[in-house]
Amino acid sequence: MSATTFSPAGRRGRVGAQPLAVLLSFAVLALVVGWSAAPWLFTGNDPFFGVTARKLLPPSAEHWLGTDHLGRDLYARIVHGTWSSVTSALIATVIGLAVGGLLGLASGFLGGWVDTVIGRLIDMLLAIPNFLLAVVIVSAFGFQTINVAIATGVASVAVFARLMRSEVMKTSTAVFVEASALAGGRPAHVLLRHVLPNAYRSVVALAVLQFGTSILTIAGLAFLGYGDPPPAADWGLLVANGKDYPSSPWLVFAPAAVIVVTVLAINRLSRWIRHAA
Amino acid sequence: MPPDAPLLEIRDLAVAYGPQPAVQGVDLTLRDGGSLALIGESGSGKSSIVRALCGLLPAGARLRGTILFQGQDLLSLAPARLRALRGRAIGFVPQDPQNALNPVRSIGAQAQEAARLLDLPDAAARRRRILEIFARVGLAEPARIYDAYPHELSGGMLQRVLIGLAMLPGPALIVADEPTSALDVTIQKRILDLLATLQAELGIALLLITHDLAIAAERAQDVVVLKEGRVQEQGTSQDVFRRPRSAYARQLQADVPALNPERFRAAATRRHGDDDAIRVDGVHKRFHAGTGIVQAVQDVSFRVPAGTTHALVGESGSGKTTLVRLLLGLERPDRGSITVGGGPVQAGQPDSLRALRRELQLVYQNPFTSLDPTWTVGGIIGEPLDRYAVGRRGDRPARVVEALRAVGLAEELLRRRPGALSGGQRQRVAIARALILRPRVLVLDEPTSALDVTVQAGIVEMLFRLQAQLGLTYLFVSHDLALIRQIADSVTVLRQGQVVEQGPVAQIFSRPRAAYTGLLLDSIPRPAAAAREAVLLDQGGED
Amino acid sequence: MSRQSFLPFAARRLGHALVVILLAYSFTFLIISVLPGDPVSNMLLDPENGFTEEEIAPIIAHYGLDRPVLEQWWRAISRFALGDLGISLRASRPVSAMLLEALPSTLVLAGTAMLVALLLALAIAYASQSLPRRWGQGVARVLPALSLSVPSFVIGLVLIQVFAFQLGLFRITDPNGAAATVFAALALGIPVSAQIAEVLIANLDHEAGQEYFAVARARGLRLSQLFARHQLRPSALPVVTMIAVSIGELLGGSLITETIFGRKGVGSLVQSAVVTQDFPVLQSLVSLAAVVFVLVNLAADLLYPLLDPRLRRRAAAGRPA
Repeated sequence: MSATTFSPAGRRGRVGAQPLAVLLSFAVLALVVGWSAAPWLFTGNDPFFGVTARKLLPPSAEHWLGTDHLGRDLYARIVHGTWSSVTSALIATVIGLAVGGLLGLASGFLGGWVDTVIGRLIDMLLAIPNFLLAVVIVSAFGFQTINVAIATGVASVAVFARLMRSEVMKTSTAVFVEASALAGGRPAHVLLRHVLPNAYRSVVALAVLQFGTSILTIAGLAFLGYGDPPPAADWGLLVANGKDYPSSPWLVFAPAAVIVVTVLAINRLSRWIRHAA
Repeated sequence: MPPDAPLLEIRDLAVAYGPQPAVQGVDLTLRDGGSLALIGESGSGKSSIVRALCGLLPAGARLRGTILFQGQDLLSLAPARLRALRGRAIGFVPQDPQNALNPVRSIGAQAQEAARLLDLPDAAARRRRILEIFARVGLAEPARIYDAYPHELSGGMLQRVLIGLAMLPGPALIVADEPTSALDVTIQKRILDLLATLQAELGIALLLITHDLAIAAERAQDVVVLKEGRVQEQGTSQDVFRRPRSAYARQLQADVPALNPERFRAAATRRHGDDDAIRVDGVHKRFHAGTGIVQAVQDVSFRVPAGTTHALVGESGSGKTTLVRLLLGLERPDRGSITVGGGPVQAGQPDSLRALRRELQLVYQNPFTSLDPTWTVGGIIGEPLDRYAVGRRGDRPARVVEALRAVGLAEELLRRRPGALSGGQRQRVAIARALILRPRVLVLDEPTSALDVTVQAGIVEMLFRLQAQLGLTYLFVSHDLALIRQIADSVTVLRQGQVVEQGPVAQIFSRPRAAYTGLLLDSIPRPAAAAREAVLLDQGGED
Repeated sequence: MSRQSFLPFAARRLGHALVVILLAYSFTFLIISVLPGDPVSNMLLDPENGFTEEEIAPIIAHYGLDRPVLEQWWRAISRFALGDLGISLRASRPVSAMLLEALPSTLVLAGTAMLVALLLALAIAYASQSLPRRWGQGVARVLPALSLSVPSFVIGLVLIQVFAFQLGLFRITDPNGAAATVFAALALGIPVSAQIAEVLIANLDHEAGQEYFAVARARGLRLSQLFARHQLRPSALPVVTMIAVSIGELLGGSLITETIFGRKGVGSLVQSAVVTQDFPVLQSLVSLAAVVFVLVNLAADLLYPLLDPRLRRRAAAGRPA
């Protein structure tokens, strides 16, 4: 009876810090969106042409993040590589969300043999390690960034399907869903007005999280050279090119830091969505 | 420790989790071998006091004041000494026995932890002592219990195990935090008897935390009444029940059915119709559970005349929930038939059920799960109107407001979501949703058992006002016999899926024929004779 | 769990596992062999590769590429079931021989990485419960989220940059040396440890909020006893699940780690098969990864009844609602 609730260990103390971290994350995301939508607003340097004489310069006022082995401005290359890096992650997430979400919805709501068949398909997708699955798809379809995006999306279908299925099943057995049926709600009404609205929050949180994971996966695939070839400037590819010049560590660390900060911000926002009241 | 000093003395205790204090300025004393009840509803701070005493407050909590136990201030003791003192001298009996033992470790392993505080030479000696204690707390097969895992035992047995574990180091004080609120009434009584025996025979002091005024009145010498973290009143239970001085104590006392046999009787007057609103004939239902078959309902028949209230009474596993689901067509009976308002209940036929449910609605037990958290109050109450396309679309908002007012809620709540409502308000919304289609029969599945007693009183009064106004028929499922005695016309007592006995309330309660009914009636807490006498004198009533 | 209920349970799970393996093989086959024309013919017919008509015909026949797709699939999966992994297009050697060569190095790497991941996760999880609240716990709780935001190749490159180039603790010219192996295992294990730590911390927090944790605390137990018996022990099941799932992470991650550290292993075999479009190798290795994943998860499933007594008689003791 006593409803005095005790907050789980660890919640307290971060409450004050939460808004700041979330605001910073939004700021990072806004900057990334700006870089991909209008890169020319953020840098005047050309990402594709450099002065060979000015190669491998360390960061300076003129070249904020230094120059690469062809004398190209690294900051400009990162900014101009944003669109491709971010959009492909977005495409991957949308594929995973749409296909996985529908599979999970059908599986969880219809049950029976539909659930069994889809359940086995999900198990199969989970059984092939994500990164390997993406690698197989890319090598079959050809080394292009768009194929990398599709492959990453297909590899994430299972995660979405599994979450959507469990959320739908959890909500379908909720008392308020039965109450709606008693109030005369037919199955379609119950699904659209009660089950989905209650399931969507955690699915959205997963989509945001998966967006970050996709950036990492795509960067990994680009790093291995499975995306568009140079002079493309995908973040992962920039790191791969930079690693051949160990005496110029900024060529690795600058694009790596951009990836880390972006993904960190996205993960923070996912957590915020999941816990926001 | 001076000879006359109390065992436990709490002075000016304050506990806060966030900016709002949960407990403020609480003083209480408990002498060696005495018994004290902390009474309060949810949010009263009674659990916070217990947790402060037992060192179980979460890390973010702030504490002020002194807790003197055997002359030592617990709040200024070094952590290691404090831990040892608490383990030895204070035994803690928790609220929900099903959750109070680690599910992946055997009872014996957990008992050994408690026994390690004793000066016993080895594990075998500890085991012998544990088995002795298990026998002492009334566990029939101590050795079997020792080897069992928590999920293999019933709630009552688990609570005995927990009392045994608390007793093991020979404590001077037992703190029991709502020790029976998760148990069936007949088991409730036995556990309280056990605690009383231990207290009397072994001279262990008892600090009993409860929301149930009747239990406090029956079981404790002294009481402290709490509300919103402050002490409202304290004294001997005799004084507090004979002459409650604070307004809150008076209200609490007036709202407890067991203390006030006439409290709701006036509300429950109604018109009797001629025909039966509900007929249940020879209904059977069994479920497959794992490899076994559970006979959930076995040959149950009863009739409810229109405009009356029929009660279904039983403990867990009695089949009352299954019966409700059969009645609503959510399950299909294996045999037998059910008719509501003259029409048969045909499970599995969506159109027939849709028609049925305009006449028959349900109010769920737990208003915290029965309302969709993403909807507004207005949407929830209006949902049946939209689904059944009742009246013109433009007229529906007015009917929603009307229904909201009928259950005693203000119009401002229309746009709120359930998360912003109290438990009582939620249950009123659920009742408004059930009544908006103007059904003739309402099934109330323990509608107040998740709510505080003062909130329960308001809802019960509202329900019977509506019954009188609208001529409704109620099927009222409950385990609270003191309440049913006052509000129901007839009653069916269920046990393990079978009807133990049924008939008019007056007859069943005054002259029960079945032994089980007698046992149930005995389990209603009876305040100590003096307090009870006082209540009867005050109300000028008779038994 | 009694024998009567355990055996059917195990048999059902085994059947389920076989179906999933079959599906995984077929799905890989579908992607590789059907969708974009067939890669073997593409390669053979590519004039740059300089095959003559006479050379092409027997190879086509060997792979059965002139047969209907369904028949090709049946032949491939029958061979796979019998342990015949096919022949590499590039190396002209049996895939199984190449695999046996590459396997030991990868097993050492993955095993060390799992050990590293478990130790790190346990340390972080203990810190998250026992350190002073505001700073210690805060840092312990942020670490997993932080390392999950770092691409694994960056972790590898940082380790190489710092520990090989700056501190000289290992040489990248000797990728199979003990020190180099430990650092490669770190690169592979850190993301896995972060996943395990996140699950572990969430479960420890959950246990710490349970009534039985409070009751055990009231019994006068020390913090370390509480942690081991009433937090860690009940968390074992979800953690074992997470460990089994992260096998996939290890297999996929070895691709990048072995490439960066210059190790020869299954991962680098996959990488070279991709680059050279050696599809029989790719098909076999990916299918085998699925087999490993499924078997490890099967083992985890069969372990559950040992970890949680409530699962031992799931079938026997049903309770009414």
